Amino acid sequence: MSPTVQSLQEYARGIAGGLLFSLPLLYTMEVWWAGFTTHPLRLLGYVLVTFTLLLGYNFYAGLRHDASFAEVAIDSVEEMGLGLLIAAIMLLLLGRVTSDMPVSEIVGKIVIEAMTVAIGVSVGTAQLGGADDGGSGEGGGDGASDAGRRGGKKAQTRAGKGRDEINFGGQVVIAICGAVLFAANVAPTEEIVMLGAEISSWKITGLAGASIALAALILFYSDFVGARELCPTGSFSGILIGATITYAIALVSSALILWFFGRFDGTAMITCVAQTVVLGLAATLGASAGRLILQSR
Amino acid sequence: MKKPEKNPLEWIVFALGLALVLSTVGYLIYDAATLGDAPPTIEVRAGAPVRRPHNFIIPVSVINHGDRTAEGVEIEVVLKSGGEELERGEFTVPFLPRRATREGWVAFRTDPLTAERVEARVAGYEEP
Repeated sequence: MSPTVQSLQEYARGIAGGLLFSLPLLYTMEVWWAGFTTHPLRLLGYVLVTFTLLLGYNFYAGLRHDASFAEVAIDSVEEMGLGLLIAAIMLLLLGRVTSDMPVSEIVGKIVIEAMTVAIGVSVGTAQLGGADDGGSGEGGGDGASDAGRRGGKKAQTRAGKGRDEINFGGQVVIAICGAVLFAANVAPTEEIVMLGAEISSWKITGLAGASIALAALILFYSDFVGARELCPTGSFSGILIGATITYAIALVSSALILWFFGRFDGTAMITCVAQTVVLGLAATLGASAGRLILQSR
Repeated sequence: MKKPEKNPLEWIVFALGLALVLSTVGYLIYDAATLGDAPPTIEVRAGAPVRRPHNFIIPVSVINHGDRTAEGVEIEVVLKSGGEELERGEFTVPFLPRRATREGWVAFRTDPLTAERVEARVAGYEEP
């Protein structure tokens, strides 16, 4: 297969992944509104954070495991560009962007939608390929490592190579990607605000406990995809530490997303915490199950 | 650092992606630098009345000249003759982003042309 066809297949997978992961956001009106109520500096921050996440994901779990930093950066720019393009086309088709709108409104809506699309593109390119298509698009990548990686055997996949032994930092980056991908789907909705305002303190505590239990269950007790190599069952304290770190990542991610969507503006401290914990359950799923799925090959 | 291995198609996509990303970032920086902090400043413009089979309608343009978005913008249009109110029409614009224009219609039973004055104004709005 020619390299061009391989690249085209990669882009097609990227488009599929981008739409798969961000479709709920493209169809959520609170996200369109956030596009024009959010200050451009905050949008800029969102773009920079997303780009950092893309770099991290492509570096640790991307398609090309032996990629240099330049290649990772190039891929990330491509994915962000694709994300912007897909978001623009979808918003145009859905009638959420029209020619009589001010530029700031159009750009705001596209940017806010495009960032999750871009992460979806990255995940789609790396994860949605068939195991035996050889479509790694690695150009002149060496065949042996290619075959090993494509063999579907994770043990083989992770063997040997430096970066394939994904270290703690890499796990944190991928966990954040997972948390953002999952939590972003519900974060902008009014429901989180309502839940945060109405929930009782005991129920918040219960939700937090349930989230940590869920993380422990997924990471250590359910024989989840990839869990065996990434989270070997150890002592009870090890499990507790693993679940707690996962939950901490989930909480930080959900707080960041909520702040970005302006949910903390003029809100009492306790309501902010309540919203973060409510969203934290979704983010925990992303940081545990999502993290394992995002690097399952 | 080894040279990235890319085919021409990938370089084209990269170039287009880079152009898109840079122009987006550039626009956001420009927008942030030029954006003031004026509260929503809303102008209401009533157009010429149109006769329809069951009523009379007046097109209304609502324009936000401010730097902030207004939510739940209530527009009311009053037909007046000799200081007396003949009829009143209202509608609400859910969101009016900064510098944006939204169009609406108000409907009347009375022919607006028989009224001396047509007063269009914004009644109120909230900050999102």
